[in-house]
Amino acid sequence: MVRLLLRFTEEQVPQPIASQIIIEYKIPMAILAAHINSKGGEILAEVPDEAQEKIVKAFQKRGVSVTVPKLIEVDAEKCFSCGSCVALCPVEAISIDKESQVQFNKEKCVGSTCSICVDACPARAIKSVKQTNGDQTAAIRKK
Amino acid sequence: MSNQSKTRTIEEINEKIRKGDAQVLTAEEMKKLVESSGVAVAFKEVDVVTTGTFGAMCSSGAVINLGHSDPPIKIDHAWMNDVEVCHPGAAVDLYIGATNMSLKQPFEYGGGHVIQDLVAGKEVELRATAYGTDCYPRTQLKTNITKDDLNQFQLLNFRNCYQRYNCAVNTSDETIYTYMSKLLPRMRNATFSGAGELNPLMNDPDYETIGMGTRIFLGGAQGYVIGEGTQHSPKNLNGTLMVKGDAKKMSPEFLQGAAFTKYGTSMYVGLGIPIPILNEGLAKKTGIRDSEIFTDVVDYSVPRRDRPKLRQVSYKELKSGSIVVGDKKIRVSSLSSIKMAKKVSQTLKTWIEGGSFLLTAPVERLSTDSVFKPMRQTEEIPFVVSVMHPAITCTEDEKIQAIAERIVTKSVNHIVVIDDAGKLRGIVTSWDITKAMAEDKKALADIETHKVHTAKPDEPLEVASKRMAQHNISALPVIDVEKKVLGIITSEDVSKLLGRQKPW
Repeated sequence: MVRLLLRFTEEQVPQPIASQIIIEYKIPMAILAAHINSKGGEILAEVPDEAQEKIVKAFQKRGVSVTVPKLIEVDAEKCFSCGSCVALCPVEAISIDKESQVQFNKEKCVGSTCSICVDACPARAIKSVKQTNGDQTAAIRKK
Repeated sequence: MSNQSKTRTIEEINEKIRKGDAQVLTAEEMKKLVESSGVAVAFKEVDVVTTGTFGAMCSSGAVINLGHSDPPIKIDHAWMNDVEVCHPGAAVDLYIGATNMSLKQPFEYGGGHVIQDLVAGKEVELRATAYGTDCYPRTQLKTNITKDDLNQFQLLNFRNCYQRYNCAVNTSDETIYTYMSKLLPRMRNATFSGAGELNPLMNDPDYETIGMGTRIFLGGAQGYVIGEGTQHSPKNLNGTLMVKGDAKKMSPEFLQGAAFTKYGTSMYVGLGIPIPILNEGLAKKTGIRDSEIFTDVVDYSVPRRDRPKLRQVSYKELKSGSIVVGDKKIRVSSLSSIKMAKKVSQTLKTWIEGGSFLLTAPVERLSTDSVFKPMRQTEEIPFVVSVMHPAITCTEDEKIQAIAERIVTKSVNHIVVIDDAGKLRGIVTSWDITKAMAEDKKALADIETHKVHTAKPDEPLEVASKRMAQHNISALPVIDVEKKVLGIITSEDVSKLLGRQKPW
């Protein structure tokens, strides 16, 4: 699965763009996070790998900005496992194991659309970083 | 062991340590032993229990003596990596406070980070200014230094090792950033601090063995308790310690600078104390479990000295990851590191087993019955309740025309919309009415603001005033916990009152 960050403008918000694309291309799309109001906003969606190119083109054709969301990364050198971040995470991607060590599950994390943990880390060990996965960014740049 | 085998002395334990025969358990191991074999066996078998804690300890810092420059300087102001350091004494004595913040990166880098960088062997930039005297003519100084260049570098923390601490929540509608970290609105998270059953003072709550002169683990090296810490309040189990140690020998792993967003910088300190098991009583006390240690869940949205306590909670519940307040299950995070607290107690155990760390008897006992006194305030500060006045209200079924008339006759700018029970529904301003006229809107619902910023009667006026400025609004309805409207405060009220105050 591939994660895409869709940004909608004020004009696009009232239009049923996402549902039209899902129906037209018959592609399942999971909405992982959404922050939208009448002024615009963004949706973090997950789509199957093989559908990525089609979906990206479809959204771009309708004027929706598509980017790859930034990922949350934890600097293991800096993290001293206080656990401040644990209870903040809305998708339970952060936990404390039996050795009282903070564990971060990248798969569960929704990335920069959330970032709720970043400014709560007293060690400043959590950063949101650009994905380095070449395939995804290349596919989006192609248009 | 002495003849009756009911007690042992520190000297006897030290003799065993020298021979490599001392039985040392970490606090974690001791609790398991007491639970499985009982106090009598635990006393018989164990000589020393090592405790540990690793948390943000704001009242920490380091005394530095730089050595003299040539020509010499009597420092007036000084900065290390752009963090202002104080000059409490003679010419080149400085104190780096953990909470002092960098001029260039405030809230991100501070005194705690400077100490960590120095301890790690990094080079730090020192700048200083002075007014110049006949004996100390120099007025400017800029140099780069490492810990090896310093004449002395002593960690000197005046409040460490808090026995236990509050659990913090936020019942307000907005996220707040505190020294208890980020607290989400409507109690969507909770934070707590302290190592619970691993905390040194929890394992010797009567200060039988911990006192002035006790040798301890401090920041990865040996240090000493030099007295009770500031705000030491042992009677209600909020004891603290004042400690010192040679920072040149410490490790950056156990002294880490920290940044709390919108609060400031601090330093995490690793501190461990060996408890000599001198009698059965101490064996029992070091068996204490998290389920027996309680603290209060405190509402940090109330910016007052005495914040509302919502319930008592045990460290066992806190460490489980969630607590229940009312009918709400709240996920809870630790701010101090239990992993590092365990590492402190484990490291101290290794030192004692290896014979490199001997125990000391206190040269003076710490107080066990004092309590923390509040500040005497000779000048009153205003609260919302002291300036609020009755709000002019309307209900949602009223016509805009009627509301417009009320604004004119009462000569106000804000009308608070309430329901039949007097509870807050929204707010309408004279500007909203003007806009409604211009756009020919007839219904109150079209112009009313529902997301209303509010104030509580017992809030300091300064806090409410800051909220108005932050949201660029000029009034706040004052409500009680049930959202019933008690009155209103406006920016005019605030400026009238605060304008009168002396800026001292």
